[in-house]
This record gives sequence, C-alpha cells and structure tokens, in this order.
Amino acid sequence: MSAATTTHTTLRAEGFSCPSCVTKIEKRVGKLDGVDDVKVHFASSRIEVDHDESKTSVDDIVAAVDKAGYKSAPSAF
Amino acid sequence: MNTLQRWVSSKWFVPIVSGLLILLSFGVQYIAGGALNPVLSPKWWLDAGAHDTHGGVAFMLSDLLMIAAAVLAGYRILVSAIRALTTGFIGIDLLVSVAAIGAIIIGNFWEAAAVTFLFAIGHALEAATLNKTRSALAELVAVAPDSAVVLRDGEQVEVPAAQVRMGEIVLVKNGAKVPVDGQVVSGTGAIDEASITGESIPVEKSKSDQVYAGTVSRGGFLQVLATGIGADTTLARIIHRVEEAQDAKAKTQTFIDQFSRWYTPGVMVLALIAGLITGDVVLALTLLVIGCPGALVISIPVAIVAGIGRAARNGILIKGGEYLETSAKISAVAVDKTGTLTEGRPQLTDIVVLDAAREAGFDRTQVLRWAAAAEAGSEHPLARPIIETAQDEGVGPEGIPGEVTPVPGKGIVTDVDGTRVLIGNVPLLEQYGIERDAQAGRVANELAAEGETPMIVAVEERAVGVVAVADQIREDAAEMVKRLHEAGVEKVVMLTGDTQLVAEAIGKATGIDEIHASLLPEDKLDAVAKLQREGHTVAMVGDGVNDAPALATADIGVAMGAAGSAVAVETADIALMGDNLLKLPEAIGLAKRTVSIMRQNIAIALITVVVLLAGVFLGGVTMSIGMLVHEGSVLVVIANAMRLLRKPRSESAPQATSKRESTSVRDSVTTQ
Repeated sequence: MSAATTTHTTLRAEGFSCPSCVTKIEKRVGKLDGVDDVKVHFASSRIEVDHDESKTSVDDIVAAVDKAGYKSAPSAF
Repeated sequence: MNTLQRWVSSKWFVPIVSGLLILLSFGVQYIAGGALNPVLSPKWWLDAGAHDTHGGVAFMLSDLLMIAAAVLAGYRILVSAIRALTTGFIGIDLLVSVAAIGAIIIGNFWEAAAVTFLFAIGHALEAATLNKTRSALAELVAVAPDSAVVLRDGEQVEVPAAQVRMGEIVLVKNGAKVPVDGQVVSGTGAIDEASITGESIPVEKSKSDQVYAGTVSRGGFLQVLATGIGADTTLARIIHRVEEAQDAKAKTQTFIDQFSRWYTPGVMVLALIAGLITGDVVLALTLLVIGCPGALVISIPVAIVAGIGRAARNGILIKGGEYLETSAKISAVAVDKTGTLTEGRPQLTDIVVLDAAREAGFDRTQVLRWAAAAEAGSEHPLARPIIETAQDEGVGPEGIPGEVTPVPGKGIVTDVDGTRVLIGNVPLLEQYGIERDAQAGRVANELAAEGETPMIVAVEERAVGVVAVADQIREDAAEMVKRLHEAGVEKVVMLTGDTQLVAEAIGKATGIDEIHASLLPEDKLDAVAKLQREGHTVAMVGDGVNDAPALATADIGVAMGAAGSAVAVETADIALMGDNLLKLPEAIGLAKRTVSIMRQNIAIALITVVVLLAGVFLGGVTMSIGMLVHEGSVLVVIANAMRLLRKPRSESAPQATSKRESTSVRDSVTTQ
C-alpha cells in the first residue's frame, strides 16, 4: 500500500446517463485486486483510480468499467 | 459482417428491434382480422380487473411478441437494476423493472412492452444528448497535441508530445499544433489561441512571447523552448479546472441529491400503500413508473456541465456550480484601474516648462533630463516611461543613479551629482520648503483633469517644470461598462491608488458609476466590504498583488489574462484566459442564463411528476403514457440545457461581420 507502487490513472468515459452509474462503477472497479481508491465523477464522466500497476493494469480497469456497461479510455491528464 | 456487429452492439439496436416486435404484434392482431394471430395457450395471468387492456381470454401469438419485445428491451434494465441493488442502490432501473414484471404477471403485455421500450429508447437518446452537453469539454480534450517536432543534436525528430523534455527546442511549423507550453526563442508566426483564450483572431508571436500547448499555427515558423509538458501545460490545467468545476456541486444540487435519496424509496412505499389500500395492482405499478426521478436528478448537472463547458470554450473558466450561482447574482463590479480599464503601460505624454524657469534658461530637454536623472534610481512604475523617453531623445540618465529618498504618496527626492532634484506633487515641494510656483500647481491640475498623472520637477530650490504620464484607456473599457449594465449589474466601481482627478477623468471616459481614488490595498478591501454591506453581490477584477486582499473579500474574484498565470487558473473564481474586457459581461450573462436554465429544469421535472400523479389518481394516465411523458421530460430537460451551447446573440455580431468580409473577399476573387 505504499505510495511508491500506487499509480494514479484517469479514464474518460462515455454515456453516463444517470448518477446511479457512479455507484455501479465504483463498486466494480473497487473490487479489483490492488485498487486503493476509485472515484467516479458523474458530471464530467471521469473515473480516477489509484491502483497498484503490478496487480491491476489500466486495461483491467477499462475492462471492469466495460463490464459495468460503459466505454472508457485512459487519458494522459 | 463488421457493420452488422457494430449495429448489434450499438445503443439503438435494442430499442429498434423491440419497437419492431411491438409493431409486429399489432400487425398480427389487426391485419386480416386476426387470422394471423393463433391462440397459443389458455389464459394464465392474474386478473387485472377494470384495467384489463388485453381483452382476450387466451394467450395468443401477439402476446408472445409483446413479451419478446418487453424481455428484449427490459433485460438490460433488469440486469442494471440487480447490479445497483447488490450495491445497495435503489434506482430508476428497479422501479421500471418491477413495473414491467408486474405488468406481465397481470397480463398487461402491451404495457410491459411499451414501458420497457420507451425507457430503453429514452435512455439511448439521453446518453446521446448528454454526451452533447459535454461536447465543449470534449473539444478541449481533443485539441491536446499528439506529437512534437523537437531539435535533438541538430536534427528534427518527431516524438509524442508527452515525451518532449523540458528545455528542449520544439519546432512549430505552419498549420501545426503547438505541442508544449513554451517561450519563442526565434522566428515569427501567427498563432490561433482560440482553444485557450476563446479568441479566434490569430495572435502574432515573436521572440520571448509565450505560446500554449493546443494552440494552432496559422503561418510562420517558430522555435519554442519547452517550459511545460503534458499535465503541466495551461491546456491541461484548463481541462482539470473545467472538470472539477463541472463536478463541484451547486447549492441547489446538494438539496436535490438529498431529496432524490428519499424520493425513489418513497415512491416505492407510496405505490405499495396505494396498491394495498385500493387493491389496484395496475395503479400501484403506474405510480412506480411515473415516480421515476430521472428528469429531477439530471436537471442541474446537465445545465452546469453545459454552462461551464460553454464558458471554457470561450476562454472563461468558472470554478464550479456554486460560483455560477453566485455570479448570476452579481450586482456590483469593482475594477482596478491600472491594467484593467487602462492598458497598464504608461507613456510620457507632456513635458511643460514653467514660465519662471524658462526665463532662467531651462528648456524642455533640461526638464526631461533632470526628471530622468531623478527617476533613474526609482522602481516606481511611472519612472519607466520617463527614463525611456529620455533615452529615446538622447538625454537619458547615465552612470550610477544618485541617492533616492521615496516620500510615500508624494514623490521622490534624489541627489544627482550633488544637485537636489525633487519630483512629485505640491505637498512634496511644500515639505521641502520650495518656493511656491502658482503655475506649477495649475498645470498639474489641468493635466490631472485630463486623466494624466502629473509630476512637478524641482531642481535645488526652484520648480522648473511638470512632466505627465498617462496610461492609455483600453478601447473596449467603455463598452465593457455598458455591457455590464446590460447584463444586470447595477454599479460598476473603480478602485485605484491613483489621484482623484486622474480617476475622475478615466471614470468619465468609461462611464463608471462610482470612483474611489487614492486607495491603499487595504482601502480597496474596505471599499469591497462596504459594497457588500450595502447588499451587493460583488465581483472584483484585478491583476496586481495589491488587489489580492480585495479579490479575496469579493464574492467573486475575477482574474484577467490568466492564460499566462497558473496560479490565476487555479485560484480565481472566474479566470478570463485572454486579455479581453468584454469577456466579463459575457461571463456574468452566461452565469445568469445557466442558473435560469437550472431553475426551469427543476420546474419542468417537478411539474411533470405532479401532473402525472394527478393524472393517475384522476384516471386516464396509464403506465405507458406515464413512461412516455416521463422520458419526454428527461429529454426536454437535456435539450433545455443544450441551449447554453449555442452562441449568445452578443457574440454572433462580430461573426456576422467576418462572414461578410469573407464573402466580399470571395466576390473580389471571382470578379478578377
């Protein structure tokens, strides 16, 4: 859990249509191994994840968001 | 095959196929007198009593088609409802699922199909239109540069924009995007900075000018020293600011959030109670459908996302929903004079030789030389234009400046090679016991009344002349004041450290309502606080450090020309990226429109629910009508917010001119 191994990833998603999406995605991504923190912003349709890159990759997160029913893409900032 | 796959996975596939199944069901019922509609099994569903829309007694092909439509459209809703429920969230999906399943159980197959179909199609429409309200931000993200041409070991190398190293030289060619924030080290070019400042007229850039990532070269060739890359660029800061602002909740939003947390479970309880009391299952299910809080929960976010995104596209950063609400109430605007109403680049405008001094052999050049020599050691902003003019005329100060004694509020006293030179106002001369020269005071007042800042020059014991420095009033300062009034601002107030006469002259030229002159920084704060005590919501515009206390006290702090300042982008409540005064009235106007759209949206959502509720109890509103109206209200709310993305009328005027220009250019080309 040390800060050195934690990566901060920002994803921009599409098609958030109601605020209940937030809970759905947060729970699903939060369950992934090595994810410390996940925050979903409804209004700007952004997903911010603090995770351990060696346990959960950015692709894993994109896949988890996809399972919750939303398309997303990682963003440089 | 690929197209088919894409079509199947598109958000429109489910509602369209479901809709076709419904049409097919109606087809087999009514075409050829029902001959195509065989009985499949006897009746098996619960009795819906008076609400029996089915009419038939047996289960027929048309019923199977309706159920198929409902299952297809409802499957995803049910999955989504169960997912939400496992996370402890009671959402709209659950209301719809319960209603649709209930309708199937009591044999209202048409209602089940209609409700799920309408919900699915409404949802797809919502997703599509909601993305549009976010389009302003998407545009900003899209202008982020991908690649850069850097000079490495004397060769041009193309690298991804994020891999440029700080301090490298980046080449910006005609038509290319500037990949980093940086400083021009050589070359000239025209840069379209619309993505940052909202101004689409290209800006000329040459050595030592600042350029921003995401802007576009419209000609020329620039070599740029990279000073900011990736997340450390102005563009990235803007995008962050906008996203944070869109997510920051308005006060009204917090209220609605709390309201809807109780609302959805409340509707379920109400439906249950109504069902138990009346024994009318259909009534209970209809209540579930019309109770969906869809329009209510998105009414505010869509308006804020569209409003803040729209503003950002025009180079106006607003910190968040709460600031939007406050900005809509602004009734007084306080502006700093220097750098806001004026250009902030004072010029020497007058050199007057006093009659008495002229008789003693002083001329214009000498007055200028003494003034420049005296100011040589001063750091006062008014010293620079005097020294520069003297240098231009070849009488500039040389060598080491003499000893300087600043006298706050009056001027300075210096020793130039053993000669005492004073430069300042009448009280300074009096303080140093210099013989009164009536003409000096009169000339100074006349110059001040024209908006210039006069300084009397005295050599040894005699006043010899007056020099005056003036700051050019910005071209659009008067227009800004006028538009602020049009935007509903009652009072525009000038706060300045300059003298009363200068302030009055500039106040008159710009149409300012009230001036407060000779202010120290803490006086500016007091002036803002006084306006607040009078009941005004105050916006303060300033740029200098001396404005900081007043900016912090004001209800809304506005920073101008913020593109060059990371701090301003991060901290100002409203940051105007460009240096255009007219953005301020535009920002206030936009805030007002956004807030009024928020209110309209809440009204639309609440009225819809109340009317539908009344409709159910008075009879006439069925489950599918309820869903239709409900989805309609959601789309109306989104469409209403999308009005913010359109250009307001005040902006379209200059566009019309440029269009006319381009037409005339084309005309002249064709006639040649």
